[in-house]
Amino acid sequence: MSYTIIEVCNGCGACKRLCPANAISGTQKSLHVIDGSLCIECGACGRVCPKQAVKDSLGRICTAVKKSEWEKPVFDHKKCNSCVICIDACPTGCLAMSGAMGKDKHGKPYMKDDKACIGCGFCAAECPVDAITMAKPAAKAA
Amino acid sequence: MGKGYMGKVLFVDLSKGDFKEETIPDEVYEKYLSGTGLAAYLLYNRIPAGADALGPENIFGLMSGLLTGTGSLFTGRWMAVGKSPLTGGWGDANCGGQFSPAIKRAGYDGILFTGISEKPVYLYIGEGKMELRDASGLWGKDAVETEEMLLEECGHDAKVACIGPAGEKLSLIAGICNDKGRIAARSGLGAVMGSKKLKAVVLDGCRRIPVADRDEMKNLSKICSKWVGMQPPFVPGNMTGFIGAFMRILPTQMAQDGMLYKVMLRKWGTVSMNQVSAEMGDSPIKNWSGSNKDFGMSKSKYVNPDVYTDCEMVKYHCYSCPLGCGGICKMTGKFSETHKPEYESVLALGGLCMNEDSDSIFYMNELLNRAGMDTISAGGTAAFAIECYERGILTKDETDGLELKWGNTAAIVSLIEKMIKREGIGDLLADGSKVASQKIGKGSERYAIHAGGQELAMHDGRGDPGFGLHYSVDPTPGRHTIGAWLYYEMFQLWKKVKSLPAVKPLYHKDAKYKADEEKAIWSNACSKFMNVLNGSGVCMFGAFIGIKRTPTFDWLNAATGWNKSPEDYMEIGERIQTLKQQFNIKHGIEPKSFKANDRSLGIPPLLEGANKGRTVEIDKLMKDYWTAFGWDPETGKPKGETLAKLGIE
Repeated sequence: MSYTIIEVCNGCGACKRLCPANAISGTQKSLHVIDGSLCIECGACGRVCPKQAVKDSLGRICTAVKKSEWEKPVFDHKKCNSCVICIDACPTGCLAMSGAMGKDKHGKPYMKDDKACIGCGFCAAECPVDAITMAKPAAKAA
Repeated sequence: MGKGYMGKVLFVDLSKGDFKEETIPDEVYEKYLSGTGLAAYLLYNRIPAGADALGPENIFGLMSGLLTGTGSLFTGRWMAVGKSPLTGGWGDANCGGQFSPAIKRAGYDGILFTGISEKPVYLYIGEGKMELRDASGLWGKDAVETEEMLLEECGHDAKVACIGPAGEKLSLIAGICNDKGRIAARSGLGAVMGSKKLKAVVLDGCRRIPVADRDEMKNLSKICSKWVGMQPPFVPGNMTGFIGAFMRILPTQMAQDGMLYKVMLRKWGTVSMNQVSAEMGDSPIKNWSGSNKDFGMSKSKYVNPDVYTDCEMVKYHCYSCPLGCGGICKMTGKFSETHKPEYESVLALGGLCMNEDSDSIFYMNELLNRAGMDTISAGGTAAFAIECYERGILTKDETDGLELKWGNTAAIVSLIEKMIKREGIGDLLADGSKVASQKIGKGSERYAIHAGGQELAMHDGRGDPGFGLHYSVDPTPGRHTIGAWLYYEMFQLWKKVKSLPAVKPLYHKDAKYKADEEKAIWSNACSKFMNVLNGSGVCMFGAFIGIKRTPTFDWLNAATGWNKSPEDYMEIGERIQTLKQQFNIKHGIEPKSFKANDRSLGIPPLLEGANKGRTVEIDKLMKDYWTAFGWDPETGKPKGETLAKLGIE
């Protein structure tokens, strides 16, 4: 299964720049193409496309969302068992483990590079103990 | 629907520079799982009989586990596989850290290498690229330097497995390193990688790992995580020796529940066992000739577990591990930090050589990790050399002037440095004690404590005969990560596999030393189960807390969508073990030749200490083990009917 790009694509290249799997190819102002064998269905292309030119793996047109409203992971460190699965699940490498936290020498995950986060939610999906929820930054602040 | 595995492996021909993907049919996973099971299936037919383990015909692989990346816990082990140059038979070694999921994120369950490259290369997979790149500039660098240089070149999100100078110099006790000094150390597979001029593998993929029922995986993982999270306050480290002494003195023993060990692992890591083991006769002392009488608490206190946690800056977790037994320790001198030494390393470089200098153990630990040399075999070989020197078999001229006496820290450190560099006496010892003793002669063979060429781990069969048995019968001999009576108790397999006998909650210690029929059932179960674990990528420490708390069988069903019973999985383990034994037969190994060194089995028995007077009934135990597997009780060779029953062609 893979995302696809339809002909309304204006070749702006926003999706190609964002794709963490290097699955999108195409030159400026021409129709871009997603390599289905590389696509990891993170949905970043659909969220960033200004022309609604991306279909998800079920064939639905994706809607663009402002980057400032992309959902980001919120960690519940009480539930977290420091298993590092979220760090590995992240396709952009935006998460990292902290050092020792006071007397507790077991690190915890945190957002290392907020700008790199594409809001894919893979960290939350793969967290084995549901210690991560995805929330819009505003909700996160609240 | 996903099934937990990626469904394909990559073959890289280093002679031609070719890449070839191979799709693996579902039936193969159902018969062999992934990891070492799949590797045994792939390599058995493809490595020709008698192939030189350091030649182009050997196939070397890096495998991930079936459960790795599926939302299960304790499933971050990756495995190196190939024909072992150390034993001449099946070789595998496994390691934790963050490398195992990277193999699957690159799109494969395993990456296998054939042929030999003309010049040093490394494999890079990532960013939609797959290429062999020049590694001439990395050749000669240690494992930490190599990883740092590769991350600088390929990006810091990449994962690296590499060899150090020991693998490059074809030391038969070399392993493969990841995460800056963790090491898949056993079986000498670092030398195989070195023989292929393959310096490193760098993986930077982000593929999704498909799972049949992720919700069920999480339900199971939450229960497991809760058990692991239970952490009562515990005694100070300097009290652990007294626990060991108490266990030694008691005539009875309670069946061990791995939850106790879990608590110690979480607090200290494997070094929690340093003093306990030395006191209770689990840890071999003075090249297996000594006991707790020689290395009592006044000496072992220098390796009490608090010594290690006091300088531990941070604990770290391998991929998908809720426990976190690893740590990074600060140190002074040439290196500023090191992975917290493991129990095996501390005792091999400590009590086995009568070395009580903790600082030197930190130093040698880091040195060996960087060199990519097995600390168990290095320590075992150093202890062998010391005994040879003390007995006059090796002279000062032959040791390059080193006073190789028990506990001479400076000489032991120099010896290890020479082994890494293959310099002088180090060149003689760099292939392990068996090869060295064959070159030295003069009766030194008696003091080379190995099984099938591989140095025994730091668990004494005279204390738990299960260790002596598994050292002697496993297709990869000399390893402590297969089975023991203790492991059977902790795995608690009878709670899922109804045909297996439960262990009595309290028993007289004498029962451990009787080679009755039940022991064959226990040891067979351990071997089968360990193959399931190594096919799935499960860490043995996770399995120690019991099959109901670390629900490997249930995770396997939820990840794959299969509906197999625990008995079905045990049969898969049986199939893998039998195939590995058959691999050895194909390569001309007589299973009897893997019997561990006599001294390690109490022939003759020790005259004092925790294991005084004990002899392992090894011949009966081996025969019973082979019989229970359907292998010939006299030769250890799988019978035709057994191969047919298991569908091994």
